[in-house]
Amino acid sequence: MATPAIEVAGLRKRYGEGEAAVDALKGVDMIIHPGEVVGLIGPSGSGKSTLLKCLGAVIEPSAGRMALAGQTIFDERWKIRDLRALRRDSIGFVFQAPYLIPFLDVTDNVALLPMLAGKPNHEARRQAMELLEALDVGHRAKASPSELSGGEQQRVAIARALVNRPPVILADEPTAPLDSERALNVIRILNRMAGQYQTAIIVVTHDEKIIPTFQRLYHIRDGRTFEEAGEGRSA
Amino acid sequence: MISLAGRDILHSWSKYVFTGVGLGLLIGVTLSMAGIYRGMVDDAQVLLRNSGADIWVVQQETLGPYAEPSSLRDDVYRSVLGLPGVADAANVTYLNMQIRHDERDVRVMAVGFEPGQPGEPPFLSAGRHIARNHYEVVADARTGFRLGERIRIRRQDHTVVGLTRRMVSSSGDPMVFLPLKDAQEAQFLKDNDAIVNERARTAANPALNRPGVPGLLDAIQASQTTSRSANAVLVRVASGWDSEQVAEGIRRWKHLEAFTRVQMEEILVSKLIETSARQIGTFLVILAIVSAAIVSFIIYTMTLGKIRELAVLKLIGTRNRTIAGMILQESLGLGLIGFVIGKTVATLWAPYFPKYVLLLPGDAIRGLVAVMLVCALASLVAIRAALKVDPATAIGG
Ligand SMILES: Nc1ncnc2c1ncn2[C@@H]1O[C@H](COP(=O)(O)OP(=O)(O)OP(=O)(O)O)[C@@H](O)[C@H]1O
Ligand SMILES: [Mg+2]
Repeated sequence: MATPAIEVAGLRKRYGEGEAAVDALKGVDMIIHPGEVVGLIGPSGSGKSTLLKCLGAVIEPSAGRMALAGQTIFDERWKIRDLRALRRDSIGFVFQAPYLIPFLDVTDNVALLPMLAGKPNHEARRQAMELLEALDVGHRAKASPSELSGGEQQRVAIARALVNRPPVILADEPTAPLDSERALNVIRILNRMAGQYQTAIIVVTHDEKIIPTFQRLYHIRDGRTFEEAGEGRSA
Repeated sequence: MISLAGRDILHSWSKYVFTGVGLGLLIGVTLSMAGIYRGMVDDAQVLLRNSGADIWVVQQETLGPYAEPSSLRDDVYRSVLGLPGVADAANVTYLNMQIRHDERDVRVMAVGFEPGQPGEPPFLSAGRHIARNHYEVVADARTGFRLGERIRIRRQDHTVVGLTRRMVSSSGDPMVFLPLKDAQEAQFLKDNDAIVNERARTAANPALNRPGVPGLLDAIQASQTTSRSANAVLVRVASGWDSEQVAEGIRRWKHLEAFTRVQMEEILVSKLIETSARQIGTFLVILAIVSAAIVSFIIYTMTLGKIRELAVLKLIGTRNRTIAGMILQESLGLGLIGFVIGKTVATLWAPYFPKYVLLLPGDAIRGLVAVMLVCALASLVAIRAALKVDPATAIGG
């Protein structure tokens, strides 16, 4: 099989030191391939957000190994100097709330990422438009985020996560504020995008309705992951 | 790359404009303060220029006639006229007084001069020059006097025959020009009661009222009432002569003080206006500190209101430099809005000041630079806060 998009082995994360130390991750292993949409579920406090932050290169793991698209980014310590550029170019983020920048219109909210990567404005906007069209919000391109519905905002946020064509998208409860129909629609979109752009997507969720839609599911409990290959799922 | 600051300002323009108005009024006050100082300096220079003099001859060891009182015998000018290099020399008197007009007192500087000599108002905006030796005046328009009106100066009524502009004393009071003789009378001659009292006092003095010397008392009385003085002699230097050279001659030869135009300017600007300048300077420093505090507080609050967006911007890979630049530019933008408003209001309200306010473009540019510096400094606190935002907070718990 091709190079995995995400490869995690023996990942640990300890918050604090001494008496107050919390071991949030106690050895996480996972492999996710390009084009896969994987669910990550677990009880509150089990370490889901912590794992996402480690993968997103915003907090430093305590031990273990992480690789993105074949490139080792962490092996006991960071292997990459510019984590900011890594986040910009290789990782897309989708949050529970869309978190769009209120003072930029829809197009520039998406185009900002290629602009930050040094693309000329017109080229960045062209890329943004392409994704907005694909996500059915092209007609709202000039609107301000506050003028969009919740579902439209979330689609714009997905466009932003995708626009630099990162090999990996990390989504933290992206359907929480949406009703079940819209939630399922978001998952459908993520599946479609994953297939179209060969992106690996990890979706952290509590949402019972969408759990059956994942091709694969990781459970996390007490800082450790277990893969579940249930009915209707294929690796 | 697009300008994040520009977009943010456009997005929340009402917030920026409202804050900008507050800041702008503060900047307007600052510019006006500078304008008031410039106006004082300019008034002093106009006063010197319009006097038509190259040299001011005043009482020895005084800084007269504007900065200190000075009194000279009124025949001094004749001996000055005889000195080499002197083309014209004429007596002038200066007297601060209140003149009743339209039910209120107008504070003026009454200038006594000899028509055709230095000290005469150089131009008129209406009416004519003084033609008679008595009871006519030319007034600065700021007095509010109208042509043909009669005004009372001490014991005499005078007719306003001409109006002039921008003729004010070093303390900003409008000038009223009148014939020297009238002015001397107003300033030096005693009123009737004083004369009667003084005569009685002289007559009661046995040293002056000697029974054996007829005519002595009368001669003394006469010399006391007709005693005439002037405050200064204005000198015009003959062409080809250097003012300082001529002034030096007057000083050495006549036991008088003589100031050239340059020295007079120095006295007026650096001695007379200096305290006001320091007063204004202190005020400007306080205003700058207040503005800086306001701008930094506003920018800081605005930044705190954007913590979540900043976390997202950092998470998606925005460099610290870009974020710092955005806050700096927003701060400068606020300063620029404030400056434009401040400059506008300062220009609009300048004519309503009782004294001359001179808004120099150079001061405006200096003001703009100061505002930009203050805003840049003020943004530092907010930039620090923004750089401390943890991108992990965008992901949440
Ligand atoms: N910054 C931190 N400092 C110390 N401990 C932390 C920190 N962040 C998380 N923890 C602890 O690490 C453990 C895992 O937290 P995490 O946020 O990853 O859980 P989660 O699975 O995302 O929970 P939830 O479903 O409630 O969001 C928890 O016990 C939490 O208290
Ligand atoms: Mg969480």
